[in-house]
Amino acid sequence: MRSSRAVWNLTKGQRHLYGGAAVALMVAALVGYLSPLVIMNTIDSVIGDKPMQAPQFVISAIESMGGTSTLVKNLWIAGLAVLVLTMITGFFTYLRGRWTAMASETICRDLRDRLYDHLQHLPVKFHDGAESGDVVQRCTSDVETIRLFLSVQAVEIVRASTLMLTALPIMAWLDWRMALAATAVLPVIVTFAVVFFNKVKVSFEAMDEAEGKLTARLQENLTGIRVVRAFARQEFECGRFAELNEDHRRKHMKLYTLMGVYWSMSDFLVFIQMGLVLFAGAYYVSLGEAAGGISVGTMVAFWSYVGLYIWPVRQMGRILADLGKAIVALGRVQVILDEPVEADADSPLPAKIDGRIEFNDVTFAHKEDLPVIRNVSFAIEPGESLAILGPSGSGKSTIINLLLRFYDYDSGSITIDSHELRELSREFVRGQIGVVLQEPFLFSKSLRENIGLGTHHSYDVTHATDDLLVEVASAACVHDAIMGFKDGYDTLIGEKGVTLSGGQRQRVAIARALLRESPILILDDAFSAVDTRTEKLILEDLKRRHGNQTTIVIAHRLSTLINADRVMVLDRDGGISQMGTHDELIESEGMYQRLWALQSAMGNETGTVPS
Amino acid sequence: MSDDTIHDEDFQARWNWGLWRQVLRFALPYKRLLVAMAVVAILTACCDVAVPFLTGRIIDEVVDAGTESNLFGYGVAFAVVMTVFAMCIFTFILLAGRIATSICYDIRQASFEKLQELSFSYFDHRPVGWLMARLTSDCSGLSRIMGWALLDCVWGVCMILGISTVMFILNWQLALLVLTITPPLLFASRFFHRRLLLTSRHMRKANSHMTASYSEGLMGVRTTKSLVRQPQNLGEFQKLSSTMYGDSISNALYAAVFLPIVITLCSVGVGLALWFGSGKVIEGSITVGTLVVFIAYAGHLANPISEMAQTLTTLQGAQASAERIQQLFDTEPEVKESGDALVAPQESIDSIEFEDVGFAYRDGKPVLDEFRLNVKTGQTIALVGPTGGGKSTIVSLACRFYEPTNGRILINDIDYRKRSIHSLQSNLGIVLQTPHLFRDNVRENIRYGRLDATDDEVESVARLVNAHDFIADLQDGYDTDVGEGGNNLSTGQKQLISLARALLSNPQILVMDEATSSVDTETEALIQSAVDRVLSGRIAFVIAHRLSTIRNADQILLIADGQIAESGTHDQLMRQRGRYFDLYTNQFAQDQMSN
Repeated sequence: MRSSRAVWNLTKGQRHLYGGAAVALMVAALVGYLSPLVIMNTIDSVIGDKPMQAPQFVISAIESMGGTSTLVKNLWIAGLAVLVLTMITGFFTYLRGRWTAMASETICRDLRDRLYDHLQHLPVKFHDGAESGDVVQRCTSDVETIRLFLSVQAVEIVRASTLMLTALPIMAWLDWRMALAATAVLPVIVTFAVVFFNKVKVSFEAMDEAEGKLTARLQENLTGIRVVRAFARQEFECGRFAELNEDHRRKHMKLYTLMGVYWSMSDFLVFIQMGLVLFAGAYYVSLGEAAGGISVGTMVAFWSYVGLYIWPVRQMGRILADLGKAIVALGRVQVILDEPVEADADSPLPAKIDGRIEFNDVTFAHKEDLPVIRNVSFAIEPGESLAILGPSGSGKSTIINLLLRFYDYDSGSITIDSHELRELSREFVRGQIGVVLQEPFLFSKSLRENIGLGTHHSYDVTHATDDLLVEVASAACVHDAIMGFKDGYDTLIGEKGVTLSGGQRQRVAIARALLRESPILILDDAFSAVDTRTEKLILEDLKRRHGNQTTIVIAHRLSTLINADRVMVLDRDGGISQMGTHDELIESEGMYQRLWALQSAMGNETGTVPS
Repeated sequence: MSDDTIHDEDFQARWNWGLWRQVLRFALPYKRLLVAMAVVAILTACCDVAVPFLTGRIIDEVVDAGTESNLFGYGVAFAVVMTVFAMCIFTFILLAGRIATSICYDIRQASFEKLQELSFSYFDHRPVGWLMARLTSDCSGLSRIMGWALLDCVWGVCMILGISTVMFILNWQLALLVLTITPPLLFASRFFHRRLLLTSRHMRKANSHMTASYSEGLMGVRTTKSLVRQPQNLGEFQKLSSTMYGDSISNALYAAVFLPIVITLCSVGVGLALWFGSGKVIEGSITVGTLVVFIAYAGHLANPISEMAQTLTTLQGAQASAERIQQLFDTEPEVKESGDALVAPQESIDSIEFEDVGFAYRDGKPVLDEFRLNVKTGQTIALVGPTGGGKSTIVSLACRFYEPTNGRILINDIDYRKRSIHSLQSNLGIVLQTPHLFRDNVRENIRYGRLDATDDEVESVARLVNAHDFIADLQDGYDTDVGEGGNNLSTGQKQLISLARALLSNPQILVMDEATSSVDTETEALIQSAVDRVLSGRIAFVIAHRLSTIRNADQILLIADGQIAESGTHDQLMRQRGRYFDLYTNQFAQDQMSN
């Protein structure tokens, strides 16, 4: 019930097209049934000498032309009538196809757009937990299943029912006993299909599963091909693949066998139905019309009718059994659409942000009882730079994620320029921050577009003022690398273009963040793949360019940390263990001092560091 | 090289007989099944032809004999034809299924095995998704058509021949008339099936673009959010979904026009049969039954013709698949066993020597030039230097993932091209900066290093690299699923696991390419001392930016522009006060000045 309402809701806005299609379908079915009547009358009244069996206006029209004798002299009229009637049927069939296509494709396009937009607005928390492959599958395969249902299956069911329903009165009008014979086996055919496919559903699912496993293994192998080689595991991999390949073949073959059973059985049922019409018809013809029999023409008409509706009806059984899939698909898509999007505050926005950040007793946990950061309090003044150091899992990135409002903090308060973060809209907050994430993501676009993505004033990236672009790229020390590519800034990144090294990606992301000219800059381990010399150049440039930018840097390397005004050290439990300037920290016992000692020791050993 | 281009799905108008001959070798093992299928196809066509004919005869019988009619014989005949028909249907589906699934299995397995052989350079140029499509949609599409094409063609031809023969026997003038619809039917079928195939190709392409966009949208969602790019992204996506809409509509419209055209053409046949046929009935030259047979045949002609046109078109469409698969088989691995390879898997590796090695990637840019290096067992070689200087290339060459374009690499004083690849590569342990973990639990990922390792061995190697503690803290400990590509773990954690995996394999050559770059310095120092202990009696290559990682190496090479700019121990290099000194002091000393 719920699912049929879901389908109904989906058709919103397109119902007039579906209505038109339904009308066209009915007209096509009705007109389609007239051709056999023409043939019947030709056999009975033109070739034979029985009175015509047709609606009164047709008979009067023929009478006015001179009666059946005119038809006998002009046999082409019958032939032409068949052709014209078929053309009318064809035209309405076309209209039906056109309108259902327009309606269903529009629905699916809107559904796809809605899904895409919705996904972008879902909170980061959703994306953390969601498996992207599964989500993509819902957006593509499941939508495709829905599309198939809307554009083909639903239409076929309606068509088969309409063909049945319009044939019944005509057949009953011709001869009710024959009408009975012509429909006797139909319920069996439909029931057989529905029962059969419900019974073998498991085999279809098993086959899908086997296929999924095979594909997954293949993907694992190909994405990890370097690991496979590194351990010379080719044979092992071939063996594992062969197992799944064989399993897939077996299940696929089982499906073929089932299909063999189904098609042969259901065709046999169809044949029984046709045989019934043929022999019942023959019997009644042999009786002679005087003894309550039927004419040869009537028998031929019935024979044609069965041929017209039996195949769609047989198909309907199969489709009915398949309907479950569309409903499941719709449910899976609906699950995504029902996820609540990021709620946002709509309090008035401050005109300008200076960049003062304050954390006050902030605790945050992804899972109950397992806080990632606990009781964190610190403040950064506008223009100040703060480095964060800490072992993995100490919550460094979490602080960044909270600041970007990727997550909302559980307790405590975070303020930017004394505005409570929670009360500022997410878009506004993110607009104030230029960030290079730990694993920077670049889009499969040109380098120019990738760097330009970050500007919030509507900076036209296609005709980018190259000066600005070159300036940030140079500051991020990636300009030379970019110019090394054949197409320079227009070089495409990703599968269709060049593959950037880890360091290059990080530097492109840095350039992108710089172009934003935001009051706050965050670099989350942004130099891990950049060599120290380049890193130094970038950091120096940063200092020069953006002295007034509040900067947060997460790093493992002393060389990065050392440039910050203050360093905050987090401990494994997500609390702040130390906070201070470089000078202060090397004096007090702790992680920073140990790190310093480790690296100084190496320097002192060779006597290179003046003390 | 031509095999290096990635073909898009083109529709090729020209038949490539040579290609099909090559591809048909996959059908060869199933010759008997194919012959059986042809027989069944002929039988099926006979049944198809027989039904309307029987109908005509029955009508004539009842018209002529009236109440005297004897329908029993016809009833038996009809029942026999129908039973044979149903049995044929069952048999040919089974046969086609057997052939299609077997061929699919064979091609897929052979392709997979081929991929395991091919060199890295092959994968460098081909996205994983593209390769996957070869083994999924190309394989299944090609094998399906190989299973069904013969059936459809034999059945189609026999049915048209059968219908024509019966009609000619009954009345040749009427037969000629009805058959006039064959050429336009054929033409229309070919035209529309081709258009339908093309537009469905477009749909598929549009669909794959959309899929890519969804997946990029999901992967980059944090970046999108941080840049507040949602509206622009949606705009770009809408372009793709509109393309899909347009392609789907044109596909649907072709289909919507095709059906009316076919039934109209058939009705021309029916009309002609009715027009001239009823004249002949009135004349008395044919019976009513025969007229009905002609009308039925005219309606039936469309089926085999459309079916055959479709098969032909599908075959033509599958040609691109066939070509891509054939291309895969034709690709020679650049690194391959030479015929006289010495197989000595038990032999230990005592030395690796680079003798004037030069190397250029396919785009022709030379990466290494006249590179010389000699490494003995027990030595650790550290490679430092700017990005793109050739550090990773040296390592890849040593592992024989690529081979030198100039010069030689000797293992135990024998050119390694004369040795078996397997004996070298099964002795490697490699840890990369962006480690790839398989979608499995932690334990199995480590065990990949040595498949017969016990759980205890797995744990002890995890302890060795300081990974045990964090693994034990994971939700299910060693049984925790690492997720796709290991993404449930942090980069540092992945690096530790892949290091454990490499050490478990007990390699003679250990390669660490920025293996601990994302591990914090303290943990890294602990790992370093553990690794140093393990390394005795092995050869190690270490690439790192963090100089604390490489300080203890026996030899440090500063690689720049494909050559060794400086080499020596840490102390020697520091004393030289050259580029290494600069690099090293840069890392932390600079701030010391201000101290």
